[in-house]
Amino acid sequence: MSLTSTYSLFKESLRLALRSLQSSKLRTFLTLLGIIVGVTAVIAVVTIINGLDSTVASAFSAQGSTVFSVSKQPLVITSREDFIKFNKRKDVTKRDAEAIQRLCRSCWRTGMSINGTGLVKFGENRSENVSVRGLSVSMFDIENVVLQAGRVWTEQEGKSGRNTCVIGTDIIENLFPGSSAERVIGKSIKVDGLPFVIQGVSEPFGKVLGFSRDNFVYIPFETGQRLFGARDSIVIHVQVEDSNSFETAKDESRSIMRNRRKKRAGDDDDGFSIDSQDAFIGIYQNATSGIYFATIGVAAISLVVGGIVVMNIMLVSVTERTKEIGLRKAVGARRRDILMQFLIEAVAVTMVGGALGVFTGYGLAYFLSLALGFPLLISAQSGFMGVTTSFVVGLISGIYPAFTASKLSPIDAMRSD
Amino acid sequence: MTTPHVQTDTQEISHPFSSLIKMRDIWKTYQMGTEELHALKKVSFDVTKGEYVAIIGPSGSGKSTLMNLIGCLDTPTKGEYWINGEQVADMTDDELARIRNKEIGFVFQTFNLLSRATALHNVELPLIYAGISSTDRHEKAIAALESVELGDRVTHKPNELSGGQRQRVAIARALVNQPSILLADEPTGALDTTTSSEIMNLFERLHAANNTIIVVTHEMEVAERAERIIMIRDGEIESDKKTR
Repeated sequence: MSLTSTYSLFKESLRLALRSLQSSKLRTFLTLLGIIVGVTAVIAVVTIINGLDSTVASAFSAQGSTVFSVSKQPLVITSREDFIKFNKRKDVTKRDAEAIQRLCRSCWRTGMSINGTGLVKFGENRSENVSVRGLSVSMFDIENVVLQAGRVWTEQEGKSGRNTCVIGTDIIENLFPGSSAERVIGKSIKVDGLPFVIQGVSEPFGKVLGFSRDNFVYIPFETGQRLFGARDSIVIHVQVEDSNSFETAKDESRSIMRNRRKKRAGDDDDGFSIDSQDAFIGIYQNATSGIYFATIGVAAISLVVGGIVVMNIMLVSVTERTKEIGLRKAVGARRRDILMQFLIEAVAVTMVGGALGVFTGYGLAYFLSLALGFPLLISAQSGFMGVTTSFVVGLISGIYPAFTASKLSPIDAMRSD
Repeated sequence: MTTPHVQTDTQEISHPFSSLIKMRDIWKTYQMGTEELHALKKVSFDVTKGEYVAIIGPSGSGKSTLMNLIGCLDTPTKGEYWINGEQVADMTDDELARIRNKEIGFVFQTFNLLSRATALHNVELPLIYAGISSTDRHEKAIAALESVELGDRVTHKPNELSGGQRQRVAIARALVNQPSILLADEPTGALDTTTSSEIMNLFERLHAANNTIIVVTHEMEVAERAERIIMIRDGEIESDKKTR
């Protein structure tokens, strides 16, 4: 058999396959559903997670891993027992912050924050659930807050506990619709009923996963303590100059804090928590890898089911076309020609399903990326993977029906009606 | 070195090329439980090139079994069968497929056309399995359709053609590979009288053009159109005679 004849046979088989796909569109669609669902799931999840990864990476790298915080409770509490345990710890205070600033040699900048939420009003306009944070002046450097209008309060102004604030752009939108940043400077807004003068407006931070990061009012730390009560635990923020000294600075801070809490070597609990973005990233990666594996499981099940459906339909097709197979054999088709014809048909069916799955997967990812606000990162690799997987499914589910067809005797095949 | 009595016996076997078809002592036996059923017994005959032969017999006589053997759709239980000089009795499935493709053009009672393919594609089918390039295929298929006067129905599908036209497409398909034998199984069984005689006239024309034709039928009128009739009964050749 020459190359051209193999090619002719291949073309004939492909033509046949496409024709039988076309002839019964509903049946084809139902046959392919399992494969479409499987491939869609993989493609959508891979694409979405790629987008999330890049969002998370860019959101966190703004600060980089040069900043850690020291606080009474860790950022993430996973159980009630832990919550009760952490609640019994001593509050972190301004004195702790001063101690770290004084004693930690690897630490570059230290800042303090006292965090809460509040209701912000201007006239009739109101904004609820605003993040109200009392910040030391150094926090603007540590958190990389850049102002587009006005200025940050001075140390002096801060210490005097003045009712002054720096706001995020959402506050302008909600309280001064249509107004520019410059024009709101000097205006007096009410935070939980107390008047505050707007002294500065931050550049927008944008959204992460649909959550705005611009709905805030920053007030001087001392003012915050007055507002939320001086007894509340504060958060100490420490920045190192370069990430190489990050771990050293954490260790130094830890031992300073343990000393202040009078902890011995044998004590399990530090009595405070040191957190950095690594913790967030760790949680994020845990969560996404969970999603990843769950999806692969779902996809695997639907591909297996899809493969069984394809095999079933191919067997029906072989039975239906017994006469045709017999005729082909009578006019000279060999076993392998029939085998190839049905294999190609099975593979063509599943690859069409795979391609549809790739497109619906990308489509799904596109709409989710619009809804949640992360970039759509389409990887050709995942598309290739989807189509290859469906190729393999087609091959596996097609082999038995194709083999059955190839074994039919031309006489028996032609006798059936 | 010639001994006459040996010669007569072995001459036929040692010179199988003299006939297009040469069957010697063919048996086909089916196992029905513990019993053996002989569908064909001791069948021997020759067909030479250009002959027009009818095989006739009542149903159950074994004529379908014989047709399957002649058409290389099946192999005999015992016996020897040469077709165009090749011993086919012991061939494998794939070798038989090659022989069918090269040597035999089938015409069936129910036409057996691919319903969703055009007349042209139906006629091209044997050429695809013969490994012929698509341009040659196209040319040959058109020529075959023209030879059965269907040059203007090339792109029609079977359901757009009359019964007679469908059978002519099937005949074009049988002829397209220029086989040694045109093997027809009840070719007029599904046709009305007028169309039947149209098809039989076509067979006569093909015979006149030096094609070898074997028609298997149970109708005497169809058989009488041939120049030789082989009568089968109970798995044996009852008679084998020229009609003219």
